[in-house]
Amino acid sequence: MSKTKSTKSFEEKLKRLEQISEMLESGEVQLEESISLFEEGIKLSKECLTILENAELKITQLKKEVSNKSTDEGEDE
Amino acid sequence: MNEEKQIFTVSELTQSIKFVLESAFDNISVEGEISNFKSHVSGHWYFNLKDENAVINCTMWRGFNNYVFFTPQDGMKIIVSGRLTVYPPRGSYQIDVRSMKPAGEGELQAAFERLKQKLKSEGLFDVERKRAIPFFPSKIGVITAIDGAAIRDMISVAERRFPLVELIIAPTKVQGSGAAEDIVDSLTKLNKMKDIDVIILARGGGSIEDLWAFNEEIVARAIYKSRIPVITGIGHEIDFTIADFVSDLRAPTPSVAMELATPDKQELKNAIEFLDQKMEESLIEKIQEYRQRIDDVIDSYMFRYPLEKVRNFYQKIDNLFYKISQQIDRKILLSEREIQKYFSIISSYDIEKTLKKGFTLIKQDDKFVTRKQMYLSSKPVTIKFYDGEINLDNK
Repeated sequence: MSKTKSTKSFEEKLKRLEQISEMLESGEVQLEESISLFEEGIKLSKECLTILENAELKITQLKKEVSNKSTDEGEDE
Repeated sequence: MNEEKQIFTVSELTQSIKFVLESAFDNISVEGEISNFKSHVSGHWYFNLKDENAVINCTMWRGFNNYVFFTPQDGMKIIVSGRLTVYPPRGSYQIDVRSMKPAGEGELQAAFERLKQKLKSEGLFDVERKRAIPFFPSKIGVITAIDGAAIRDMISVAERRFPLVELIIAPTKVQGSGAAEDIVDSLTKLNKMKDIDVIILARGGGSIEDLWAFNEEIVARAIYKSRIPVITGIGHEIDFTIADFVSDLRAPTPSVAMELATPDKQELKNAIEFLDQKMEESLIEKIQEYRQRIDDVIDSYMFRYPLEKVRNFYQKIDNLFYKISQQIDRKILLSEREIQKYFSIISSYDIEKTLKKGFTLIKQDDKFVTRKQMYLSSKPVTIKFYDGEINLDNK
């Protein structure tokens, strides 16, 4: 669950980061807003890199009763 | 001679036939082409084996057919082994099949081509149908053997490239009899889960028999039906299975399948750093732009020579002043001339001339007394002659 959240938040952060970069590049924002966007962007990029660095692969194994049953049946006959 | 000819009942005759046939064909192998293949819900198989001139019924019971790695198809040439049995209620005979194999390597290939054509014509391979693989998967369903090299490879690829992801592994039989059914089962199970973003169906390399489950129709249809996009990574690069044609994306190997399912950590880092750099450049550019605007103002003429305007005004005022004074001077000059003119006129009446002639003037209190009534007898009088004045004290 937390794993899923971290991927989602990573994706959201990265999207926001890309958005900020585009806004800054467009040059349509005022200086003060530019600076606060830049600060937000730098913060996001650090968070993204940290998430990537600290991520650990999670593996879940699905229970499969049905497949075992069919094998059992085969051996019965 | 023939009077004592034996008369059988139908059952007796059938029993004899049964005995004769079953003992004569106790262990036989027959080659033929499958027709009317039916897999009953009970798990038993019923089909005919035929060649150009003859047909024979066959049955293969559940339990035996579990060991057949492929699902028989009509038109497939096979070799069956088993024994002949007679079924008295119908007076028919059939082969009780114990084992079955393709009549040659080419048979599997032919079956493969037949199914491929069939599914293609049904639209299962249509490019328009293929779904996009999500770029940031949260959960990847993996259908493969739990103990194979493929799963280990895939885990290490996921770990290296995108450890943010969660792998949901559905341990599945991917080879031999029942493999196709197990793959279908895993696909169904993963599709019932809500949050799987993509499914990888994978198996390491092997012979055409080993990979056959991926050429089965039920697997193809299950992939087609899957709500979740499916990436196949089956065998080696040269192996193409029916599953590969139906899947949304075909990878040459299990490892590559995992690569296609995951974004690369290093690339992401590079992308983030690139964004950082771009943001910084944009901001610097912005500041530079403002600085330029300020510089432009500071460099402007007015800022460099702030007194210039004042001086200009000075000059203007001076000019005006000059013009005005010129006018005035001219007026003065004219006036002076006028005065000169009058002066000469006046001077012609100059009192001195009159005095010279012998007239005198009377002054009282420094004013000339020109009329009798202006004369005040009590005040001193000054008489002005041409050559001087006399003061008379009236007292």
